[in-house]
Amino acid sequence: MTLLQELDKVYFFMKRDILSFSTYKTNILLSVLSAFFGALSYAFLGANALVQSVEASYHISYTTYLIIGLAFNTYLSQSLTLVQRTINPWSLEEVLVSPTGLVTFIVGSSLWGFIWSTGVIAIYLAVGVFAFGVVLTVNIVGTVLVVALGIATFIGFSMIGAGILILTKQGDPVTTVITIATNLFGNVMFPPQVMPAALQVISYFVPQYYFFTTIRQMLTGSTLLAILPDLLVLIIMCAVILPVGYLIYSWCLRTAKKNGTLSWF
Amino acid sequence: MPPNESAVITQNLTKTYTSKIRNPEQRPSLFQLGKNRTVTAVKNLNLEIRRGELFGLLGRNGAGKTTLVKILCTLLPPDGGTARVNGFDVAKQQMQVKRSLGTIFSVGERGFFWRLTGFGNLEFYAAINNVPRRGRRERIMEVLDLVGMKDNAFEVFQKYSGGMKRKLALARALLPDPPILLLDEPTTGLDVVSSRNIRDFIRNDLVKKAGKTVLYTTHYIEEASQICDRVAILNKGQLTALDTPDALRGMAKKGEVLDIVAKNMSEAQVESLRGVDGITSLAAEVQDAMLGQTRLRLRLENVDTLPRIFDFFFREKIKIINFKQEEPTLEDAFIELTGAGISE
Repeated sequence: MTLLQELDKVYFFMKRDILSFSTYKTNILLSVLSAFFGALSYAFLGANALVQSVEASYHISYTTYLIIGLAFNTYLSQSLTLVQRTINPWSLEEVLVSPTGLVTFIVGSSLWGFIWSTGVIAIYLAVGVFAFGVVLTVNIVGTVLVVALGIATFIGFSMIGAGILILTKQGDPVTTVITIATNLFGNVMFPPQVMPAALQVISYFVPQYYFFTTIRQMLTGSTLLAILPDLLVLIIMCAVILPVGYLIYSWCLRTAKKNGTLSWF
Repeated sequence: MPPNESAVITQNLTKTYTSKIRNPEQRPSLFQLGKNRTVTAVKNLNLEIRRGELFGLLGRNGAGKTTLVKILCTLLPPDGGTARVNGFDVAKQQMQVKRSLGTIFSVGERGFFWRLTGFGNLEFYAAINNVPRRGRRERIMEVLDLVGMKDNAFEVFQKYSGGMKRKLALARALLPDPPILLLDEPTTGLDVVSSRNIRDFIRNDLVKKAGKTVLYTTHYIEEASQICDRVAILNKGQLTALDTPDALRGMAKKGEVLDIVAKNMSEAQVESLRGVDGITSLAAEVQDAMLGQTRLRLRLENVDTLPRIFDFFFREKIKIINFKQEEPTLEDAFIELTGAGISE
């Protein structure tokens, strides 16, 4: 056993990993993008005008703003990765040979995740209320409605991402792009008002913005009438994204079945 | 289901795959591009499996067995031709086909949840396979009992041996009590005893007692020979032969069959032997690498070829350890029909 031999082994361990890694080209690109936009979103968190902007725009403390944003982001994250988690190639084929429809499969596979997320949200809100004095005045009907719309919209995104993943067997660009959009333009940890005007405009085209704007209002004493304009935009976005997601997912699944690549990952 | 229709019928069934090929010699690059390659996995296949039959599908790796199973269980749409299972079209009546089938794929543990018990796993699969809630527990225990796993029902799956995992996969396929079972290499990777237990169970309990129709794919010739009513030999996606194991053996009956174990025989010598006048086919495999033993299976035109063979061994100074003149087996038919080596 010589040092040279050992170095040769180390080199081939690394070479093995580089070769495997290089086959996931989309993943490489997405990692780079995530790092870049992640840094950008944290930079906005340090903006001096953040607290004043939140208080002026939403009439709530920044703590309340942040706690609600982080808590309900759990639902969206859960929804966004929901369909991808069900396409474990081993169990996918076993489920697909059973007389179980696609909708039942997706709903059934996601239910526990949402129950768990609800528990996580309850912990977030309890910590906010009891440790930081966050005051919540909940409009139950409005909250349920907004959460349902947010989840449905994100399941639409999730189906698009899962469909692409089934076909490409590589990284799922949709999940990365949506996560970046949520962190940067989604009104989760800072309002778009702290960003440059050109970037603020983008926020109005992402459903996350409307979800977080309306959910905060539903938890802090507003009425459904007060959020109606934003709610309508969210409804329209959901009505487009969910069926489009379903169609894309079904098409990708059919194509993978046709190509015989369903269980290749 | 039309009366008296066969359990499975395929007509001109065809499936083609297109895949990318990467050149292993190519230097690692972030943007490697591959060329497309088209492979016809199943080609104009016409098959008919009768009700209550144990039908063997024999072929080498890549012969198209798993592709056929996947088409029949609706996981793959065919590119051409038709396939009907229990009277239903696999492309147009998928739900009815799924209700008619129980399937085991070639990897036994797939789809199981490793941290759940065997019972917990079957409870999930019973639900998604429409086993009624009332009586579900009894049905699960019944199939576990059938495959001899009742005592291990409440152990976690990850602690099961390979044989137990296979049995659980069989139990899962039996849960909805389907009339037809597609068993894709159900004994692969199992020890001799477990394989025999599973084969006996399929032959005696499922086919003889319960009257199920079973499509049993394997690349083990002995398995097909022992338990199947009829065997189809698939080669490069095409049906090469279809008959009872005895009739298939009969196809290889012409001429003499020799089984020889030789010591220290090189590949070049095997190739030279192949050229001896009167040898119609030769298959070779290393029987014991440590002892340098090679097993040869030769088909001869007639007994007159024997002196030429012994002359070859004498001339090449190759020691014969064992020599048998045999009746042709299903293996001989398989080798003749597919051009495969012994262990392929």
